[in-house]
Amino acid sequence: MTGRRYHDSTVVDFVVVGSGVAGGVIARELAIGGFSTVVLEQGPRLTAADFEHDELKYWFLAGITNDTARSPQTFRADPSAAAIPTGMRPALWYARTVGGSSTHFTANYWRFHEIDFVERSRLGSIAGTGFEDWPITYAELEPYYTKVDWDIGVSGLAGASPFDPPRSRPYPMPPLPVKSSGVLLERGARKLGLHPFPAPMAINSQSYRGRAPCIHCGFCHGFACEVQAKSSTLFNMIPEAEATGRCEVRANSYVVRIDTNARGRATGVAYFDANGRERFQKARAVVVSANGAETPRLLLASTSSQHPDGLANSSGLVGKYLMFNYAARVSAVFEHELNEFKSVQVTRVVHDFYDADPKRGFYGGGGIDARIGPQPAVWAQRLSTEGPAWGAAFKARLREFPRSMTLLCHGTSLPIATNSVSLDPTLRDAWGRSALRVTYKDHPDDLANARFLQDRAVEIMDAAGAQRVIRVPVREQNFSMHLLGTCRMGDNPGTSVTDRYHRTHDVRNLFLCDGSSLVTSGRGQPTMTIQALAFRAADHIARFARAGDI
Amino acid sequence: MPDCGDVKALYSRRALLEAGLGIAGAIALCRSATALVAAPADAHGSTERRFFNASESRTVEAIVAQIIPTDETPGAREMGVARFIDHALAGFLAPLAGPFRAGLADFDTQYRSRNPAAEEFASLAPVRQVEWLRQVERTPFFASLQQLTVLGALTMPQYGGNRDGLGWQLIGFADEHAFAPPFGYYDRDYPGFGAEEPLR
Repeated sequence: MTGRRYHDSTVVDFVVVGSGVAGGVIARELAIGGFSTVVLEQGPRLTAADFEHDELKYWFLAGITNDTARSPQTFRADPSAAAIPTGMRPALWYARTVGGSSTHFTANYWRFHEIDFVERSRLGSIAGTGFEDWPITYAELEPYYTKVDWDIGVSGLAGASPFDPPRSRPYPMPPLPVKSSGVLLERGARKLGLHPFPAPMAINSQSYRGRAPCIHCGFCHGFACEVQAKSSTLFNMIPEAEATGRCEVRANSYVVRIDTNARGRATGVAYFDANGRERFQKARAVVVSANGAETPRLLLASTSSQHPDGLANSSGLVGKYLMFNYAARVSAVFEHELNEFKSVQVTRVVHDFYDADPKRGFYGGGGIDARIGPQPAVWAQRLSTEGPAWGAAFKARLREFPRSMTLLCHGTSLPIATNSVSLDPTLRDAWGRSALRVTYKDHPDDLANARFLQDRAVEIMDAAGAQRVIRVPVREQNFSMHLLGTCRMGDNPGTSVTDRYHRTHDVRNLFLCDGSSLVTSGRGQPTMTIQALAFRAADHIARFARAGDI
Repeated sequence: MPDCGDVKALYSRRALLEAGLGIAGAIALCRSATALVAAPADAHGSTERRFFNASESRTVEAIVAQIIPTDETPGAREMGVARFIDHALAGFLAPLAGPFRAGLADFDTQYRSRNPAAEEFASLAPVRQVEWLRQVERTPFFASLQQLTVLGALTMPQYGGNRDGLGWQLIGFADEHAFAPPFGYYDRDYPGFGAEEPLR
């Protein structure tokens, strides 16, 4: 698919930074809306034929993800300490390719619940945190969740969960076939009086909008789909944007600065092209969807005499309130084979513990899903945290792979101002830019909630008849692929970075939409909500553009 | 964050620091992208060593053979794990080569200082090797070697380990491009969502 080509000096209507989860959606919507659009993506453009079942490459050697050799990161848990380089693994992990992290996600696609948007009003404030209501409600977002279901492509069963928020349309595709882990989660949970339901997944259970159904190869999480069954923006939004003839997607284009003029308007973005040459794309308006790590980094790096602390940062909150979602793990071994290496990660989910309950003595809630984790090597490496790591006992444990499964407990993370993305004062990346510095320490409530959910997961596995259940210790996190909250939305310019329409409070023609927009963490699986926000943002941005208000 | 904080052990800052790499070294931890592409070539074609000397090779071979021992089924030795590690440290894991070699030298020095009259570690009877490894199983070097052993046993054979898919055979992983339901024992007779009665 070749789209339109624009010259740098052409003032396009929009430049969109990032082609992933949110950027792909926004580019497609703006291009369909009639606007000239250039998408700049730091990573390469790959096709389904480029992807492989290669665990070493994708999980250990940055096959399609941010590579610390070129983009190093530093990490610290204590905001008063110096941050230290993370080594080969980054602290914040994301896919760096056209389609962004939608290429390698698990594709768990439940919606946030109504409570997620108004939790602060219901529960009250939490000392030491920036716990807030969202400026929008579930009802305002519902049409866009439905648009994700139908335009992106989600498989699921409407009405299956009594905890699901209201929906205006059923899913366009039935659920994927259940796996043994799903049957066991369902069996154990029902025995305890809980309400398991088929997982909504952004993976085709049947042919959908020109893309093939899933072939159950098992390589979803951390891998890109080889048959386009996974609903990645690489396979749907990006080609649809290009098909309008108004959108150019420029790969290998790393945006390093947003420029503004004397009137405080964004004029376009500076970027390094594939040849390492710095270029500048002019635009009437700029949309940044570079993810919850790179969006704040770009703003913080876009300093000028007018914006000494970074662009759109009058609140001082750009990069703050980083949230991960805690994922506690329970492993279980059963008598017979499950063969969890086959098919999609998740087929059943439990939401009975989604809502927070003050009676528990801490804030938090979560969802529990059944899976095993990525694939053999990652699974086996993890065993060393669960028991014997060598010798005959280890070999015996390795042999249990086909009979093993995991319950993953997706929990809340409170927004804490010191948890943040910032610019490292000394370390530089291969382009000479200040490296990402990550500061993160889980709130005690997040850890208490993780242990609470883990206890529930143990009960479920016991009820399902597991031979052995293993509780993986809950420890403070120093790694995440959920990059949330770092440019939060809100009505008050003093306590948020963008308004409810994703427009920055400070710069009228600068919009931000991705994981950074989230006000609270939800209970994991943020991608669905990020895409609903993106469809909604694009609607409003197009409306502003038509009214001459950008 | 789902799923992967714990796979970091191999690359953890602490392990690297304790291995003597230091902060400056950690900053320099830059693997070349081209090494990744170059590494798979000739994975099983020869027995040539790329990184270890003969003595290092014997020690590593002996240790990994205790991490996944050979019993009635193949172990790390037959899977070619030592060769995987040799190729990796000469290629895509070159940044770990220095600390790994230092850790290996420490292992050897400690062993010899405690067992001055004994033969080299690789020549010990397996039961004696296990005894010694119990003494050092908490060192960063051993942890690194354990994680590398897993990678060597279970990643694609093109990287030099998992010879003939023996690692996958051990754990019961089927290297096939596509599957169809039923996938396992428990989903075979699944009656459909909502159709299964709660167990009593």
